[in-house]
Amino acid sequence: MADKKLTEHLANLSKLSFTDEELSRVTDEMTDIIALMDMVQEIDRNQNTFTLPAVDYDSLRTDNADKSFDTQEIIRNAKTKTNNAFTVPKVV
Amino acid sequence: MAIKELHKQLSAKEKGAVELTKRYLDRIEKYDKGINSYITVSAEKAIKDAELAQNRIFSGDSGLLTGIPLSIKDNICTLGTRTTCASKMLEDFVPVYNATVVEKLKNSGAVMLGKTNMDEFAMGGSSQTSYFGGVKNPYDLTRVAGGSSGGAAASVAAALCVAALGSDTGGSVRQPAAFCGVTGLKPTYGAVSRYGLIAFASSLDQIGVCGMTAEDCAIILAVICGEDKNDATSSDKAKGNYTELIGMSLKGKKIGIPKEFFGEGVSDEVKTAVMNGAEVYKDAGCELIEVSMPSLKYAVSAYYLISSAEAASNLSRFDGIKYGHRANGETYDDIIKKTRSEGFGDEVKRRIMLGNYALSSGYYDAYYNNANRIRTKIIEEYASIFEKCDVILTPTAPTGAYKIGQQEKDPVRMYLSDICTVTVNIAGLPAISTPCGYDKDGMPIGMSIVGKAFDEANIIAFCDVYEKTFCRKMPKERNSVQ
Amino acid sequence: MKYIPVIGLEIHAELLTKSKVFCGCANEFGGEENTRVCPVCSGMPGTLPVVNQGAVELAAKAGFALGCTVNNYSAFDRKNYFYPDLPKAYQITQFQYPICSDGIVRVCGKDIRINRIHIEEDAGKLIHDDAEGISMADYNRCGVPLIEIVTEPDFRCVEEVQAFVEEIARRLKYADVCDARMEQGSLRVDVNISIMPENTKEFGTRAEIKNLNSVRAIGRAIEYEITRQTNILEHGGRVTQETRRFNDRSGETASLRSKEEAHDYRYFPEPDIPPVFISEERLDRIKAEMPEMPNVRFERYTNEYGLLEDEARLIVEDKAFSDFYDETVGIYPAYKETSNLMLVELNRCLNDSNGKMSEIKFTPQMLAELVSMSDKRIVTKNAARDILAIMFETGSNPESIARENNLVMSTDTDELERIVEQVIAQNADGVESYKNGNEKIIGFLMGQIIRILGKSADMKKAKEILLEKIK
Repeated sequence: MADKKLTEHLANLSKLSFTDEELSRVTDEMTDIIALMDMVQEIDRNQNTFTLPAVDYDSLRTDNADKSFDTQEIIRNAKTKTNNAFTVPKVV
Repeated sequence: MAIKELHKQLSAKEKGAVELTKRYLDRIEKYDKGINSYITVSAEKAIKDAELAQNRIFSGDSGLLTGIPLSIKDNICTLGTRTTCASKMLEDFVPVYNATVVEKLKNSGAVMLGKTNMDEFAMGGSSQTSYFGGVKNPYDLTRVAGGSSGGAAASVAAALCVAALGSDTGGSVRQPAAFCGVTGLKPTYGAVSRYGLIAFASSLDQIGVCGMTAEDCAIILAVICGEDKNDATSSDKAKGNYTELIGMSLKGKKIGIPKEFFGEGVSDEVKTAVMNGAEVYKDAGCELIEVSMPSLKYAVSAYYLISSAEAASNLSRFDGIKYGHRANGETYDDIIKKTRSEGFGDEVKRRIMLGNYALSSGYYDAYYNNANRIRTKIIEEYASIFEKCDVILTPTAPTGAYKIGQQEKDPVRMYLSDICTVTVNIAGLPAISTPCGYDKDGMPIGMSIVGKAFDEANIIAFCDVYEKTFCRKMPKERNSVQ
Repeated sequence: MKYIPVIGLEIHAELLTKSKVFCGCANEFGGEENTRVCPVCSGMPGTLPVVNQGAVELAAKAGFALGCTVNNYSAFDRKNYFYPDLPKAYQITQFQYPICSDGIVRVCGKDIRINRIHIEEDAGKLIHDDAEGISMADYNRCGVPLIEIVTEPDFRCVEEVQAFVEEIARRLKYADVCDARMEQGSLRVDVNISIMPENTKEFGTRAEIKNLNSVRAIGRAIEYEITRQTNILEHGGRVTQETRRFNDRSGETASLRSKEEAHDYRYFPEPDIPPVFISEERLDRIKAEMPEMPNVRFERYTNEYGLLEDEARLIVEDKAFSDFYDETVGIYPAYKETSNLMLVELNRCLNDSNGKMSEIKFTPQMLAELVSMSDKRIVTKNAARDILAIMFETGSNPESIARENNLVMSTDTDELERIVEQVIAQNADGVESYKNGNEKIIGFLMGQIIRILGKSADMKKAKEILLEKIK
């Protein structure tokens, strides 16, 4: 069961903003979706959870430095940049 | 025409590679306005690819895929060609590197015609959530093409390419292949490198192939598969010749039919068509065994929790700072919230919200962990079924393609319709869907053959036996193709 | 009321690998913005992390250096939060299964417990421009491999914390795991601190002070926090659980964010990276490569070699210095004499010339020869110092230096006796004063003898003759 408070919390975690109208609709949708998801509560908790099979240390990437990418390629898709760095309004 | 046949004609110089590519580009020009299977057609690049391919053919340096025109799903990164994930978020994103599969196709001399339409960020089963408009089913333009690789399947069905690369996280290659009446192969997790596939759910995503036949899919898989140093989850077990078992005798082979896949929600037409398919195998000497997957009823919930949790994290990088859509705002927080709210569509937002719910403090064990407990359970149930059978036969989707607008707006209904395909991704297994009938509206019905991990050659051989007996009805756009 | 501080540390150390932890970009300090960046470490869509074996190896070495269990099985997780220096909006770290656990490091006569060491990736660097009101993100540091060392809250005073940080820095440098340059940020310390009334057992509410970049700053920040928290409690207030930042100029800490705004990091297993298994055999091999740690050397120097604690401490401070000492005494075991020569004369030469141990022109073999010459009284102790200074300059061998500079001790007894007699004759008053019980005058008389003989004089012999003659 979702309420507006939960939806707002999730929106905040998700960095999404909703108008009041959207918030009610999303809350209703989330309520239905969570009801479907609640099926998973029926599983036996003693069942192991899933993990990827481990790989051996020997198969890890050897520590060698490669050439990096051209700086212009790295920043070419950014909408705002200054002195070859990505820019945002000042933080902190 | 099958890839092998085209290859023969190209090699014998009965056909030119450039001429072949141009023919497909013309068809796209002519038919794709109605179908909308492509987001970006890279005509110039395609012709250049074809010229290079022609040179290779002239110099005798060609393989099965040299000069063969293919389409690539628009969530697979292509250097210099925009890759949008059918999202406003990446409307103008141009990758600075090629996905491993694209690099491999390039080395094989294949021609890329363009980037195919899909559900936004591969989240959906209708290809209607695309920012660039939905994909129409070539059999009936008022119906969905399935999804999320709807553009891939439709482009193959309408002969707007020879074959297509798609991606399959919960059925996204197999289900649209079924809806569009073509063959769709989802390889074993790890068989194909995911490097350059824009991640939806990392532990479930796998690049797959849509083609006219199982053999075509196998030919392409052989080129794109293999361990990749850029993908730590890729496996060295995937290599070799996926067509090698084609033509083998099926006598005495055992096919498992899990009864839960034929339950409520699966249409009678689908059940009948798939069981008719099973009869074909029986005639070929196979033994049909009824098997059971008791945890299937939890599969959809487990799938949506795991995939959404991973998606919420994977899609966090889209903040407008480094690439993609950027909204204006006073503060960093303003900018990312606005960017994401404007850049993502409703379904993507729902998945991100659900994923963060499953991962957030206080809910993690109840949702994320329980979903992963079910994942282990399903893996165990598959293992026990495979102790008794060589392959498993299931429907690919509960119904045929439905009318656009009929159910895409109801998330829960949409999620439930993934019931037949998600367990394969949860268990990381290979599966192939092939048409096995048509419903009362004339829409194709697909059945899926599921195999053990890295047993692609086997399911391809099974699929091929069926395809050689089944008479397909193709959409009318296809008729003029030679 | 008297309060006792309870302190725990989280130490981030950058690993000395050639490449970054999840991609092949070079792991170096500084450089122009975004020049050591690729699609992987800049978080481009479709890219995947691939673990660097070197980072795992160094993290395991850190574990051995700090007395931890290095685990056969470790796994990576994602820590999700948005910040402009974190391009993927998640940091890959180890949450559930860290590479090392349960270490112990002894400082100030006390065992400090290490809870865990885990591997993670560093974030980028933000450059703030107040005039433009912007922050600029440079991703060169993104993906630089780090280990985070987490201690139990076992510290009760500033001295313990500072000694611990210095010990950790030293051991990581010895093991070649981290260069531990706090001023460059390759070793950064977060301090968790609370205070509790004396004679209670329950810890107070703690504050976390982030990113302290010198041992001095750690001391000042802790002192400030103790005063601040004491003031709050004494005025009946409550300490809030929060993250604080230390201002080096004002010497004060200020709140960054409180617990209420704390992040929900939504940790979950990193699906792009399989867990890592390290066999016992492999761990043994890594362990076998470990050099002797400074604390073990310290024990050896003080217990077996009879050095003073201060001397031993000074020698182990720098590994290259200590290695040189060990090699020298390995050839000629004069522990005290070698220690004296190195700590006094060699250190003076190094300081005067701003030199480094790695660039020294002479070998331990040559120093051992010098020590042996001094020990066998071929040269005097004073001459040995002068010879060492010349060896430092020229790299020549001590024997030829001694010969060329007339520093070989004179063994001519007749000559000695003649000079002693001459000095006695010239200092009759002094001899008289000695006979009246003024033993100090011997020093003066010896000085006169050395003035004539020079540094090659066999002082011991001269003194014997002098005492004999004025008896």
